[in-house]
Amino acid sequence: MNVGETVLQARNVHKTFGTKGSAQHVLKGIDLRVTRNEFVGVMGPSGSGKTTLLNVLATIDHTTDGTVLIDEADISKLGNTALSAFRRNKLGFIFQDYNLLDTLTVKENILLPISLSKISKRKAESEFTAIADVLDIKALSNKYPHEISGGQKQRTAAGRALIHQPSIVFADEPTGALDSKSASSLLDVMEKVNQQRGVTVVMVTHDPVASSYCSRVVFLRDGKIYSELYRGDKTRHAFFNEIMDVQAVLGGDHVDGF
Amino acid sequence: MLTVFELALRSMRQNVKHYYLYFFALIFSMSLYFVFTSLQHDQDVQNMTHPSVDFSAGFQIAGVMLIVIVGIFTVSANGIFLRRRSREIGLYQLIGLSKGWVARYLMIENILLGLGALLAAIICGALISRLFVLVLLNLLDLEGIVGISFSVLAAFKTVMVYLLIIVITSIQMMLKVYRSTLLDLFQADKRPDLTKPPKAVASAIFALLGLALIGYGYELSGHINKQLFVNALLMLGSIVAGTYLLFRVTIRWCFYLFRKRKDGHLGLTNSLSMAPLMHHTKANANSLTLITLLSVLTITMISMAYSFYYSVEQETRHDFPDDFMFENEQQEALSFQNELEKEGIDVKHHVVEAVLTKGVILDPNDESHKFEEGLLWLPAEQLKQTDADLDMPPDGEAILYNAGASLSGDLDERYPTEIELEQNGQTVMYTLRTVMERNIMNLNAPGSQLLVSEATMDKIAVQMAGTPGYKKIRFDTFQVPDKEELATASSLYAKSVSDERLYYFYAQYKEVLQTTGLLIFIAAFLGLVFLISTGSILYFKQMTEAEQEKQSFKTLRQLGFDVNMIMKGIIRKQAIVFLLPLTIGMLHSIFAIKAASFMIRSDTTFPASIAMVIYTVIYFVFALFTIGYYRNIVKNAIS
Ligand SMILES: Nc1ncnc2c1ncn2[C@@H]1O[C@H](COP(=O)(O)OP(=O)(O)OP(=O)(O)O)[C@@H](O)[C@H]1O
Ligand SMILES: [Mg+2]
Repeated sequence: MNVGETVLQARNVHKTFGTKGSAQHVLKGIDLRVTRNEFVGVMGPSGSGKTTLLNVLATIDHTTDGTVLIDEADISKLGNTALSAFRRNKLGFIFQDYNLLDTLTVKENILLPISLSKISKRKAESEFTAIADVLDIKALSNKYPHEISGGQKQRTAAGRALIHQPSIVFADEPTGALDSKSASSLLDVMEKVNQQRGVTVVMVTHDPVASSYCSRVVFLRDGKIYSELYRGDKTRHAFFNEIMDVQAVLGGDHVDGF
Repeated sequence: MLTVFELALRSMRQNVKHYYLYFFALIFSMSLYFVFTSLQHDQDVQNMTHPSVDFSAGFQIAGVMLIVIVGIFTVSANGIFLRRRSREIGLYQLIGLSKGWVARYLMIENILLGLGALLAAIICGALISRLFVLVLLNLLDLEGIVGISFSVLAAFKTVMVYLLIIVITSIQMMLKVYRSTLLDLFQADKRPDLTKPPKAVASAIFALLGLALIGYGYELSGHINKQLFVNALLMLGSIVAGTYLLFRVTIRWCFYLFRKRKDGHLGLTNSLSMAPLMHHTKANANSLTLITLLSVLTITMISMAYSFYYSVEQETRHDFPDDFMFENEQQEALSFQNELEKEGIDVKHHVVEAVLTKGVILDPNDESHKFEEGLLWLPAEQLKQTDADLDMPPDGEAILYNAGASLSGDLDERYPTEIELEQNGQTVMYTLRTVMERNIMNLNAPGSQLLVSEATMDKIAVQMAGTPGYKKIRFDTFQVPDKEELATASSLYAKSVSDERLYYFYAQYKEVLQTTGLLIFIAAFLGLVFLISTGSILYFKQMTEAEQEKQSFKTLRQLGFDVNMIMKGIIRKQAIVFLLPLTIGMLHSIFAIKAASFMIRSDTTFPASIAMVIYTVIYFVFALFTIGYYRNIVKNAIS
């Protein structure tokens, strides 16, 4: 695998919500390059535009200005069908609010992304078993979303994001509703997927422990990139301390500015 | 601080947009009620029709049926709307408003909305009632223009219906507000009706019971006219219960087995059709049953009315094969013919010389049945000239012609039988081969009409001459082929003969036409109201579900499923939701019509098929609307 090759690139990305009178400029010129096999963390105060950035990068939302390239291709030039197919086959999402289908069981939800692919039922079943085992949700297979806890929903969402072996996974606070033990097991899974299968991960998080799993952490503030940290050869603990230092400067989660 | 009233007004303004179809359906049915009650009480309209046609009773029954359907419709629609607004109701309570406040708020909004509909209904009703009268006159083939005045009584009755609706829906709202917990309200759309797997044995029993009940109802439809009342009730009960079980248990059970076999590998299309259907099993079972039964009612009603209307001419012809008939009145017949020819009317004249005797037609099913009656022996050779479609009976055998044969009882194994003639203490037997379900002379000719060869008739005339009741009759019959000329000829005939004989084809035809015209008029509009109500209920339901599923569509689009893939699942769901009640309803109706067709002598297949086709077409329009609504939501789920 060609490490160092650019898979995802944002050039001067702007995003504005609302119309002229009440326009809200959320992303103000983001430049970001993600190389294959990277595990990128995105941190920043609430409302700083992390989810918005993730959506734009993941082709779910359009930019107001600037370009997003995936595998060198400008996604604004791709047609709707091509984009859909791309998302379906290459991308995995863990949404901040899970977005499970209420009418489907845990297992049906997880299997949804491969429902249209030509994978044999046996293969799909073994994929499911593998993922459900790691995420510890095997016992919940036949339960409906309203019958399970927030953390269990989050793990189900993670299962759905990984089942079809995407090449990039976008995760929006995947550990937000998890206790530290389940959080670290999910992060272990993501790390494993990242290192063994070469899956690129972009993860938004508030939690410095979670971002210490990353190979790089990007700090967002007021719609701009404030700073970046590379883990390099540092231990996770050392990296964690560094992240804490930047966060202290950046201000707490709930402080939007000085 | 907003008052309850202001808030209700504000939310109403937003809701009118969502409720336009509900509004329309309500206005439509209430104006129709107003029109029907106006017509029921209008003296002018009644004076114009034939005295034997009971006009006001027809409209009264229609009015009652309208109240019933309006009640069912508002209760279902209101239930759907309340479910859709659960979250809003919960939110008001969450921010500390009392249950009483919320209930009051909903009721005020409801009363104001209903008041709007009421006013619109009375105004529309008053405007269109003239149009209705015109359509009715046209249908009944009546002349004259009637000005219909605004009926205060009808307006009053319409207000009463409105009050009834308000009372029922208010009770429904109070139940909703007071009986549900906050959790219920917030999870109304998330929580499935039934998550537990159905109990295998009980499900199997009930599933089969549902099918058995329907089968029993169908079986009953074949012989409903023996013990009509009991059988009709049994049939109704078993089909209603069977249909409910079918939707509630049988179909759910099939779905459950199918889904279980899929073991999680459901696929996108099933995830979007079967899963949401199973999610709302209980609510779906209720509404699908209701819709199926209303469809049956509508289709049967329209088919029967149309069959009656459609068969008027044919049936009257069966009673009156000749336009005019004179019995032993050669002189009058001649002068009538002259008069017609003077007017330039093309007329065909025939003479039939027949013999009337007394005799007994034996009943092989009931030996003791010996009832002496008048027998009219008619010569086949002479009649052959007027009616080409005659079977020539062999010598010594007779064929009975009786238009009312099937109405007067079972025809099974009645024929062939024997005819007993008694002359001077001696009994002679003739074979009665079979019966034809039409008359060969007009209904008012004396005696049972027996077709025999001329030779046989002559022999009977010789044998029976001088016995009591014996009579030779000369019939002068007239046919006017042209419809317009027939009308003129009929008025000439009515003038030329004395009153008591005003019993001839055209008069009879007109009278029946008026009754059945009224019937089809009422049935058509009632059918329309029923159809719009059922269609709207389905549409509202789907609309609400589409909105609840909005987030799912958004998620699916974000996961990379495009609009067409999602629509495939939605179309399958709509196919199930619309086709299931339609096909089951059709099937039920076929048997219901079969059961009811003993009232009609002619074949109901053609009119019933026409009614079904029309119903299906309008129904599909609703399905297309729904699919269009869904497509919009899916398309806009992601920008
Ligand atoms: N669809 C939208 N329409 C209008 N404004 C939006 C929309 N989505 C997000 N915003 C605004 O953009 C800003 C950034 O939102 P975003 O969801 O990206 O924040 P975030 O960094 O993910 O915050 P959090 O950590 O709380 O999830 C917020 O101020 C939000 O109000
Ligand atoms: Mg966010």
